[in-house]
Order: sequence, then C-alpha cells, then structure tokens
Amino acid sequence: MSHLRDLQLRFQDYLVDGSEAIEADIVSTDNALAEHRLGTYYNAYRIRLIDALATDFSALQQYLGREAFENLILDYLHHYPSTRPSVRWVGRHLSDYLQQHYDSEDAEFLRELAQYEWAQASVFDAAASDQLVQLEYMAQVPVETWPELRFTFKPAIEWVDLYWNVPQIEQTCDRDEAMPDKQRAEFPQRWLLWRREFKTHWRSLEVHEAWALEQAFNGANFADICEGLLEWVDAEQVALTAAGFLKQWISDQLLTRLHDS
Amino acid sequence: MTPAQSKPFLGFGLGLRAEHYQDVLERKPKNIDWFEILSENYMIDGGKPLYFLDAIRADYPMVMHGVSMSLGSTDELDFNYLEQLKALIDRIEPCWFSDHLCWTGVDHKNMHDLLPLPYTEEAVIHVADRISRVQDFIGSQMLIENLSSYITYCEDVMPEWEFLSAVAERADCYLLLDVNNIYVSSFNHHYDPIDYLKGVPVDRVWQHHLAGHTNDGNLIIDTHDHDIIDPVWQLYAETARRFGPVSTMIERDGNIPELDAVLAELDQARRIAEPFYRS
Ligand SMILES: [Fe+2]
Repeated sequence: MSHLRDLQLRFQDYLVDGSEAIEADIVSTDNALAEHRLGTYYNAYRIRLIDALATDFSALQQYLGREAFENLILDYLHHYPSTRPSVRWVGRHLSDYLQQHYDSEDAEFLRELAQYEWAQASVFDAAASDQLVQLEYMAQVPVETWPELRFTFKPAIEWVDLYWNVPQIEQTCDRDEAMPDKQRAEFPQRWLLWRREFKTHWRSLEVHEAWALEQAFNGANFADICEGLLEWVDAEQVALTAAGFLKQWISDQLLTRLHDS
Repeated sequence: MTPAQSKPFLGFGLGLRAEHYQDVLERKPKNIDWFEILSENYMIDGGKPLYFLDAIRADYPMVMHGVSMSLGSTDELDFNYLEQLKALIDRIEPCWFSDHLCWTGVDHKNMHDLLPLPYTEEAVIHVADRISRVQDFIGSQMLIENLSSYITYCEDVMPEWEFLSAVAERADCYLLLDVNNIYVSSFNHHYDPIDYLKGVPVDRVWQHHLAGHTNDGNLIIDTHDHDIIDPVWQLYAETARRFGPVSTMIERDGNIPELDAVLAELDQARRIAEPFYRS
C-alpha cells in the first residue's frame, strides 16, 4: 500500500471515528495545535452531513429536536457512511437504519416519517415527463382494445404504506403549525406521492385502488385489473370502477402512455 | 468547450444558487456576465433545479464546478461519476469545468469535504496523472482550484503554490485561483499571500473565486457565508495587476442575501479589477 494511501486512511479514520494516529502527521503551531486544526475537519464533516440531512428530513428533525436529531445522524453515519459523490444520496438508508438499529418505542413512527420524507425527496428530482396522457384520449380508445390496455406511469411517483398519521404530521411541520398527536391505525394506509410540474402532491388510496395501481404499475392490463377487483366490487360494477381509477390517474397526471400491446 | 490556445475572459460572474433562480430568470440582470454552477447539484434526473438550469443557461454562459472528483484520492477514479459529469457537460456546454486539488475520501467512502494533500513529489505525480486521465476521458482540459486548508503535513517538501504549479505543469491543466482561499491559507499557515501569487504561472490562471469567511481567532474557516473582507479585496487587486483579465466570480453558500446585495459585491470586483485591465 502506498504511503499516500496510508496517510489518507489515517486521516479518514480520524474523521469517521476520531482515531488519533493522524495527529503525528500534522504540524502544530503556537496559535493552533494539530489537534485544534484537525478538529476543524472533524466538526465540518459532521455539521455538513447533519445539515444536509436536516433538509431532506426536516419534519424528522422538528419532531426529535435538533440535539436528538444530531445524535441520530451521527450514529446513522457510523452504520451508513456516504459512498456516493453527491450528498443528495446520503440519507437513502435512514429508514432502514431506524428499522434495524434504533431502539425506542418511537422507532416504527420515526422509520415511517423518514420513509415518507425520502419519498418526497425522490419525487422532487425524479425525471420530468414531457408527454402526459390527457383525459380526451380515454374517449378515443376503441372499445375492443380496452381489455388489452396497459399503462406507463411517470417516473416522479412513489408510494409508501404507513400505520402512523405521518403525512398529517409532516404537513404541520412544513407549515410550522402545532404538531397533532401521533396516531397508529390498525392496518397500514397506502399513500401515493407524485410531482406535477414542480409541486409535490399526495393522497391516500383505498385498498382496492392501491391494489389496482400497483398492478397497473407492474404491467397488468385492464382486463387483469378488472378481474382482480372482483374481490372488492360486484361484477357489473367492476369495469366502471377500474375506468374510474384510470380517469383519476389521468387527471392526477400520473400516466405518460396507454398502450394495447 | 473553449480551445486551449488563448486565455478566454468571460467577465464577472456569480455562483448560481437556488435562492436566486426566480430573480435571475425574471430580471435577467445585465451586470452578471456568466454563472458558475455546482455540478453535483444537477446530476439528477429532473425537477426544479434542472428546469431553472436550462432556462438560465439560455441567457448566460456557464462554467461547471465540482466538489466530488476526488482527484487526490488513492481510490481508483470514479468513472461512473465522470460519465454523469460528461452527460451534464454535453447538456450545458460550459466554457470549462473545474474541481479541487484535494481528495474527498478513500476506501469508497465520501467525507464530502475538500481534504488537502501533502505537498510531496509522490502527490504531484499521483494527482497530475489522474487529472490527465480525467482530461482524456472528458476530451478537454480542466481547471483545478486551490483550497482553504487548516492543516500542514509534516512531510511537506514544498509550499502550496509550488505544488499547485507543478501539478498544473505536469497535467497540462489550468488554474482556478481562489483569492479568498489564498488569504485564508496564508493566515492559517503564516505565509505571505503575495509569495503565492508570484509562484503560480500567469498563463495558466483562467478563473478566480472570491468569497467571505469566518475567523475564529486562531484559524480562518472558509464558510462562504459572509461578505468579502477588505484584505481579500486588496489581494484581488494585486491578482488583477499581476494576471490581467481573468474571469472572476463570487461564491456565496450560506446566509445567502438578496440577489442585489451579491450584485453590489460583483460590481465592486469590477471596479477593483478593470482599471488594471486597461493599463
Ligand atoms: Fe472556491
């Protein structure tokens, strides 16, 4: 291993967990000892990443308070140090970390909050879609091709399944309003997030719409979806229900293409 | 990008920041000649930043400035990153691209900080060869920037300006001389900033950064969150006298004021530098 590599590894070990071996490599002066000089880098590494994650997870920070948030992130960085060139991706494992390592009765709520805020960030800078399916187009689809119809969704779409009233809490944080009590439902609720132009939208999905959307997203055709919906809807209503979902997805600007092959 | 032979002069520019997107697009200020963008902020698939980038690019020349190339690292070069950078270069068609004379991590970790190299022969060869490989990959020469630093390695065998110059000669690249960083490092390491200016090759200096900083009494920290201080303006005047017309821009990253306040600082840079360009 090269001398330069050894030096860099010593320096990085110091930044990551304070190993002091690097101090012997650094010049001390009267006004600033090596320890103080190195400390500038030690602190900057932490503050920079805490601040970056406080932007991505602003509601989580507000819920925990700054100090607890800092401690959380410092521990997170030990488990998941940044490995990508852009600071944009540093937080991508935070909800996993909360699931695996965070020992608190709050863990499930915090994980869901982190998951929800990460979905928002993902929607924010997902690829734009130039062409969107318009409602007028629905009327032009020949009746005989409907069963074969498949759907392409825009990239700026995410969904998360939440037991807790996370979106409500996130929104009050965003508006700087008093935080409502957190509440856990008996079953998870699916929330859909998507971007229109530059604005993020979100809404909850009823269980049959959630199922239909996931099927459509994964390539099922209109007939498959109708068949599956029979679990919730009468046979004579099923096509109308599926068409109603489709109309809603088009109005929400979720679809970039309808195709019958 | 610009052909290598002559030193282009873009005038006086600003670092493009999200806080100013709307204002820039609506007002199209005439006293901004060009923008520098932080490359990593636009290595994403879509959304608001890319929209504003494309819209503002239609009105202004741009240069690209990166923080993650990690030219000095002893890890292998990240060609995945370089591919993304190249894609952004193709999209934006900047006048040039730059990164820092530093390393940002090793062992596949990223500290997201600009960490100094020891000023040794080993490091000159190592970093210069990597710059050459990047230039070959991208297909044009790049600019490398001097850092603000808070440490000196015991093993250093040359001053920073000699290191910077040796790297630039060996890699045949250009220099982005950050005037604030020279001031900060000269304060932190007790040398005369004029020696620095005397020590770098005039023809290779293609761009300047100006910025503010924070002084903790014993060390100056390069925070980019204050106005530019008088001693840095004085040093900038000296660079204008020595280097002639060099594209100059102001970096502001924290505590970002209204666009007009940054424009006033940019006008001050003009007032200081332009008299030297005429003589
Ligand atoms: Fe700079």
